[in-house]
Amino acid sequence: MTAKAVSQRGLYFRSLISVLTVIVLWEAGARAGLAPALFLPPFTKVISEWWSVCADGSLPLDLSVSLSRAAVGLGLATAIGVPLGIAMARSRFLHWLFDPVIALAFPSPKIAFLPIFILWFGIYSLSKILLVAFACVFPILIGSFAAASSVNRVLIWSAASMGTSRMTMLFRVVLPAAWPRIFASLRVALPVSLITTFTAEMVSGGGGMGATLMYSQRFFESPTVFAYILTMLCVGLLLDALMLRIQAAFPAWSTAP
Amino acid sequence: MQEADRASLLSSPVGRVLPLLLIGLLWQAVSASGLVDPAFLPSPARVGYAIYDLLAGREIRDNLFITLWRAGLGLALGSSVGIWLGLMMARSPVFRAYASPIVGGTYSLPKSALIPLFILWFGIGTTTTVCAVFLACLLPMVVNTAQGVASTPRVLVWGAEALGTRPRAMLWQVYLPHALPDIFSGLRVALGFSFVLAISSEMIASTNGIGKLIFMYGENGAYDYMFAAIACVVVVAFLADRLLLALTEKSLRWHESARGR
Repeated sequence: MTAKAVSQRGLYFRSLISVLTVIVLWEAGARAGLAPALFLPPFTKVISEWWSVCADGSLPLDLSVSLSRAAVGLGLATAIGVPLGIAMARSRFLHWLFDPVIALAFPSPKIAFLPIFILWFGIYSLSKILLVAFACVFPILIGSFAAASSVNRVLIWSAASMGTSRMTMLFRVVLPAAWPRIFASLRVALPVSLITTFTAEMVSGGGGMGATLMYSQRFFESPTVFAYILTMLCVGLLLDALMLRIQAAFPAWSTAP
Repeated sequence: MQEADRASLLSSPVGRVLPLLLIGLLWQAVSASGLVDPAFLPSPARVGYAIYDLLAGREIRDNLFITLWRAGLGLALGSSVGIWLGLMMARSPVFRAYASPIVGGTYSLPKSALIPLFILWFGIGTTTTVCAVFLACLLPMVVNTAQGVASTPRVLVWGAEALGTRPRAMLWQVYLPHALPDIFSGLRVALGFSFVLAISSEMIASTNGIGKLIFMYGENGAYDYMFAAIACVVVVAFLADRLLLALTEKSLRWHESARGR
């Protein structure tokens, strides 16, 4: 017990050391002039730049624009993907109808469709939100389908033998049993939504983190570029940690494959 | 009996193509009805002709090959370095302790955010794209390999050691074969990333490649050609994914997961 606690603390200690080493090497390398400041600004300069873009409100604004696009797109994908995935698991016809489309669309790089979305929905938020929904809907669909079709048959049979109606079956048996695995697919889709938002903003502009990142790069404002990248890293980490927290709250039996 | 016949017909390869044909017919009907401006939604017939025209010329082939070369190079470098790093992480607790915060930190970073940085460092061109693809492919390979190697059952290790397997042979005969299913599932993720990153970095900054070509058609208003080029990308990505799946199945024929298939 104590040995484990010590080694746990040792692990944190080593993690801290390794992150600090990277930062110190970065700072020292930049200060020593190993790389021009244009290519690698010192870490302290990046942090002070981060503070100033936070203080003048530009970074929080960009972040809120990007996050709201990602969230609306992900929400849309969930609203379509989860019901359709469950319906596909329950109906052989729907499975036949949608399976080939999903098989073709799932491995395709969704960002290639961006020009079509721009053509149809303009260059502002709508095209980006819909592209995010398009990119996220397939992992959610596949995850929900797998979750709903792997619900224990015995549960369904015993509910059916007790005269459960179709709707009750769906909401009282299938959904509760499948929910933890559906949530796991949402955890997969979350980074997809962030990546798609940032990339679409980088390609087509229209505000948000990605657009400002490209803009700063064009004017060679390296500290801003680094500050934005660091912010994206932290946002990704925080959101994933949050999802893990929620997932850990599920009972252990339900998350076992 | 009749029901079973119909079910088997629908699940046959011909039956599986039917829904796609239905969508094509619907699309043709919508564009023929004139409800939608044909500039916004070119009819399947026009897109089909554009595909035929593109395949006859060199433009798409050359640009597609450039993109595939960049994606393939990044994937190959990223997966080989990733397997090695994952192996090190699983086998050495010290290395894992130092490397895991960096791997965990960069894992959730959208790799396309690094493209502007690579443009700063390497300029516009193949190096930038290959670097972005490399990083995107590296992390899923590291995580999957580490997971696969670390979960090797002790019984297998003890058994091999009792039979006198040398430490070097342990790697090739115990750890890597046990991690192979995980490595392949990492490879499938990395393959998808390689296409996404190659195409998005070409859209952001490049003078050639399929991503640039798609955008160029869009900017010039040649929407039927834009749709055709996107269709080519979808088909190529689909075929690459299927090829990898077939390879996985062939390499894992001995594995438990192949049983009953």
